[in-house]
Amino acid sequence: MTDTHDTDLLAGQTWQQLLARRSFIELDALGRATALLDPGSLRVLAGPFDRLESPWLAPQGITPQADDGTVIARGTVGGRPVVVAAIEQGFQGGGTGEVSGAKISQGLLLAAADSRAGTPTAAVILFETGGVRLQEANLGLNAVAEICSAALDLRPLAPVLGLIAGTVGSFGGMSIAAGLCTRLIVTPQARIGLDGPAVIEQEAGIGEFDSTDHALIWAVDGGEQRVATGLADTLVPDDVDELRAALVDAVARGVTEPGRHRSERLDVLASRLATLDPTAPPDPRELRTLWGADYEPVPATRRAAPATAATVQTRGRTWLGALSGNTEPDCVIPSVIKTETPSAVYLAVVPDPQNRFYRARDGEVGVTESLALAQAVRAVIRADEDKADKRPIIAIVDLPSQAYGRIEEMAGLHQAMAAAVDAYHCARVAGHPIVAVVVGTALSGGFLTHGLQANQILALEDAGVEIHAMHKEAAARITRRTVAELDELAKTVTPMSYDVQAWATLGYCDGLLRADQPDAPTQADVDTVAAAIRDAVVRARTGPRDLSNRLDSDGAIVTRHASRAVRDLLAQQWDSPS
Amino acid sequence: MQTLNYEFPAQRPAPRAVHIGVVASGDLEILLQPPAGDDPADRLTVRVRTSVDGFDTVWHEVLERFFGRTALAGRWELNDFGATPGVVNLRLQQAMAAATTTSETS
Repeated sequence: MTDTHDTDLLAGQTWQQLLARRSFIELDALGRATALLDPGSLRVLAGPFDRLESPWLAPQGITPQADDGTVIARGTVGGRPVVVAAIEQGFQGGGTGEVSGAKISQGLLLAAADSRAGTPTAAVILFETGGVRLQEANLGLNAVAEICSAALDLRPLAPVLGLIAGTVGSFGGMSIAAGLCTRLIVTPQARIGLDGPAVIEQEAGIGEFDSTDHALIWAVDGGEQRVATGLADTLVPDDVDELRAALVDAVARGVTEPGRHRSERLDVLASRLATLDPTAPPDPRELRTLWGADYEPVPATRRAAPATAATVQTRGRTWLGALSGNTEPDCVIPSVIKTETPSAVYLAVVPDPQNRFYRARDGEVGVTESLALAQAVRAVIRADEDKADKRPIIAIVDLPSQAYGRIEEMAGLHQAMAAAVDAYHCARVAGHPIVAVVVGTALSGGFLTHGLQANQILALEDAGVEIHAMHKEAAARITRRTVAELDELAKTVTPMSYDVQAWATLGYCDGLLRADQPDAPTQADVDTVAAAIRDAVVRARTGPRDLSNRLDSDGAIVTRHASRAVRDLLAQQWDSPS
Repeated sequence: MQTLNYEFPAQRPAPRAVHIGVVASGDLEILLQPPAGDDPADRLTVRVRTSVDGFDTVWHEVLERFFGRTALAGRWELNDFGATPGVVNLRLQQAMAAATTTSETS
């Protein structure tokens, strides 16, 4: 499929303006931050001479960059205090690593602290990233979860603005963070998506997405399309002055009213998804008419109730049944199951062989699963609104990944996932203990959406449990290594390991649990896990409601010393020039 | 990745610290720091970390030729991602210019 319309790269400019303009895309990360801030106001924090480089790259034979490829700068925009996080697209494709990710999340948290103290400080994130840096896999994935959480902490207090200029664009988990932003400014060269075209082709074949078809890529992911379908706000040509003007305007607009952020508009997401028929999907051009540029509900499409498929017994379904004492859970939708008890709510994503979104039939988290999770979690928040004791939400995690598909990308999978992440964060901040229990695989964007916003994360200590940024074969292809080489590296580079015991040392495992029969748990197995959940709920109720425990745990002190160094240095340099 | 260390005679200390470039494909970043308190003011050290192994001789010759003409004392760190000698030379010149011109640099 090829969309033949010409993308207007001038975005309203004449060719004379085109020739006279100063290109933003051609600037490096520091140049971009400098160009956006008020002249003379830029102050770089944790810069190259502080040498907070990635501790994980050199042992793999990869040259590190002194600032780990992310510039954090304070300054003003239109006279208002701002922190800029500019990702350098040239270094490791802008991939999020432990250090670069910690720089962004800690910058957001410091801005939130200033905002609370009476100085609203906006954040501007320059997304140019292929997603999680696979060489730092699990620590990159967790860094994205922390960025999402910190962005949501700041968003009610000061605007969190995303600017995507290209040429890398925003892909992977960081696009979920983009979906949480107050506003998004894009150029026609920008792209926003969850899974990039090459990864979809690799996972699903060239029939699903031809990654050499640039017209198709920009028709699906391009900045113009995202604005025309309401998934981004402002389309600006690649021009330093125009981008800065758009940013000045966005900063001056301030925060968005609670409930009106894209990631909170489940009504819009639900109505939009109802119009999509994956057996006869609209062409990206038609989607503009179907959905429109305003993020508002579209006319209802009556859809036949989903066929009830024979249930597939998986670890996720089995454990949800065993722990909740109910083997006949409710279907939020057939692929998202739920059991509510007076003392807790259990949620899991499970396979649905009849799923109308055919790329999400094996338990992947797709667009409708993300919406269903968000709806279920928001319903719990509403039900307990007036209660002092908020019920715990237990996320049973056994999912192969997110759904890799062209229709998913066209529909804005990143935005749907952002809705679920927002809902989980909202529940956690409201006081619901969120406990993730990994009983099977917890991979990539699927885990970011369902699990990684939890206060507490438990996992079974079993060979069938796998927690990672991407499954092994795909990670090997993308990093141009063999699976044997990956296995060898994982022995020394802990965040790359597929072994749950290694994962448990990364600082955000709150309990590794033994079960004799993980596929068919015995009563003793269920009792062990249930007791661990009860303890986790107690810890969640008494612990912080943000994710700071992931940096203060015993594991983090040993393994995440680089993240802790980032946190300490940024805090130290925040107010006083170094 | 290979780490290479070199030392060359220098004419005068680097006036200021400079950071130039990006560890991008075919490019490199350079960090130059003036000599610290007990460092000699007439020597410079270079540490190269390069993603491409086995080019020790080429690196030595490129650096020797460059620092044979203009040499600022201090610590030079080159983080390389497969830059060609031409690009290396360009980045070195850029670092020199940034360290010695009076205008404000990053």
